[in-house]
Amino acid sequence: MIPTALNPERIGKSVLGLFDYVRGIYELLSYSIKSLGLLAKPPIRQVFKKQIYFTGIEALAPITAIATLSGIVITTQITSLAGQNIGLTAKIMLWVVVRELGPLLTAIVIIARSSSATASELATMKIRGEIDSLKMMGIHPGDYLVVPRIAGITLSVITVTFYFQMTAIIMGYAFASLVGYLPFIKSLAGIVSILSMKEVLVSLTKAVVFGLVIASTSCYFGLRARASPTAVPQAATGAVMRNLLTVFVLDGILTYAFFV
Amino acid sequence: MMRFDRVSTGTLRAVSFAVADGTSAKILSASADQISELFAVCSGVRRPESGHVYMVDNDIYALAPDARIPFFRRIGMVPESGGLISNLKAWENLILPSWYHGTRPPADAEGEVLALFREAGFSEEQVQTLMRKRPDELTKYEKRLVAMIRAILMDPDVLIYDSLLTGLDREAAGRLLKLAQEFHHKKPGRVSVYLCPEDAAAERIRTDQTVTLNN
Repeated sequence: MIPTALNPERIGKSVLGLFDYVRGIYELLSYSIKSLGLLAKPPIRQVFKKQIYFTGIEALAPITAIATLSGIVITTQITSLAGQNIGLTAKIMLWVVVRELGPLLTAIVIIARSSSATASELATMKIRGEIDSLKMMGIHPGDYLVVPRIAGITLSVITVTFYFQMTAIIMGYAFASLVGYLPFIKSLAGIVSILSMKEVLVSLTKAVVFGLVIASTSCYFGLRARASPTAVPQAATGAVMRNLLTVFVLDGILTYAFFV
Repeated sequence: MMRFDRVSTGTLRAVSFAVADGTSAKILSASADQISELFAVCSGVRRPESGHVYMVDNDIYALAPDARIPFFRRIGMVPESGGLISNLKAWENLILPSWYHGTRPPADAEGEVLALFREAGFSEEQVQTLMRKRPDELTKYEKRLVAMIRAILMDPDVLIYDSLLTGLDREAAGRLLKLAQEFHHKKPGRVSVYLCPEDAAAERIRTDQTVTLNN
C-alpha cells in the first residue's frame, strides 16, 4: 500500500485542482476587469454598493480594534528597545505597519468576514437554482454576481488597508504620547517625512492584489459548488483556506520583488 | 412561435410540438420529472441530447451561450418554485429583470405592480408588507404571483409556466389563471405555454391546444 501522503493519484488530483483554481481565478478576473463598465447599470451598482457596505463599512469596527491594539503593541515594543528615538521609531513603524501589517492584517480580517460569506452565499444560490433563474431572466450571472463582488471587495480592501495603517500609526503614537514615551505631533511628522512614493506604491499594490485574489477566490469556490448539503460549508472553508495561503504566498513574493 | 423538434434528454424522448403565434398550449405529462426537464430545456439551462428548440424564430441551443442569456429577456419564465433570488426582497425580485434590461425603471412599474396585485386579491397594505419580505417568507401562491408579475413587466413574446396551479387552492389558482389568460391577450402574437402534470388543476386551464407527452 502506498502511504496516503505519497499516493500519486492524490498528488495528481491536488496538482490538477491547483491548475483549475489558477485558470478559474484568471478567467473570473479577466472577465470582471473587461466588464467593469457594467457597474454603471443600476442593479449591478446596487450589488456593488451592498458589497462595499458588507466588506468595507461593516469591517471598520474590528479593523479599528485590531489596528489600535497593533499600533499600541508596536510602539511599545519599539520604544522599549530603542528608547525615545523618533527617527528609528518612525522607520520601524513604516516598515511594519505600512509595508506589512496593514495589508496583511486587513486581508486576514476580510478573508475571515467576507470570503466565507461570499463563497457560501454564491454556493447557496447555485444549489437553489438561482443562478439558472438569473439566466432565465436574461441576466448573465457573471455580470450580476461576480463583477460587482470583485470590484466591491477589491475597493474595500484598498480603503480598509489605508484606514488600518492610519489608525495603527495614530493610535500607536497617541498611546506612546499618553504614557510619555514620544511626543505625538513630532512623531507623526517624523513618519510623514520619511514616507516615500515607494512605500505608498508597495502598500497599494499589496492591497489591490490581495483584494482581487480574495474576491475572485471567494467567487470561484462559491460558483463551483455542487448540489449537496455539504457544498456550502465546503465552499466557505475552501475559500478561506485558499485565500489565506495565497495571500501569504503573494505577500512574500511582493515583498521580495520590491525590497530585495 | 415556439417549436420542439424531436427533443430528447433524460426521460424526454423525441418530443415534438409547435405552438403558433398568438396561441396558447398546455403540455401534459403524468411524470413530474418530465415537466421539470421540459421546463429546464425551455429555459435554456439544459441542452437536449438531440433535437432543436425554437423560440421566436431562434434555435435557442444554436445560439452561443453569451447570446442565449440576453435572448431570454424576450421569454417569460414562471417556475413552479417562483425562481426568486433569496437575498433580494420581493419588490427587488419583481423589478430585477425590467430594471436590469432598462425596459422599465422601478418607479414606473409601481402602478402596474399594484394593479396586478389588486387583481390577485391583495389590498395596498398587503402589497406593501409582501414587497418587504424575502422569498423564504412567501407562500407558494405569493412566490408564483411575484414570478408571474416579474415576467409580465418584461412584456415577453413567449410565456412559459411550470405547474402554475399545482398545489394551490381553487381560489388562488383561479386568480393566477385569470391573470395569465388576460395577459396572454394583451399583446398580439404572444405565445403562452403551460407545462402541467396531469392533475385536476391542469384540467382548469383552457388553451388552444393540448399536447400529452408519452412516457
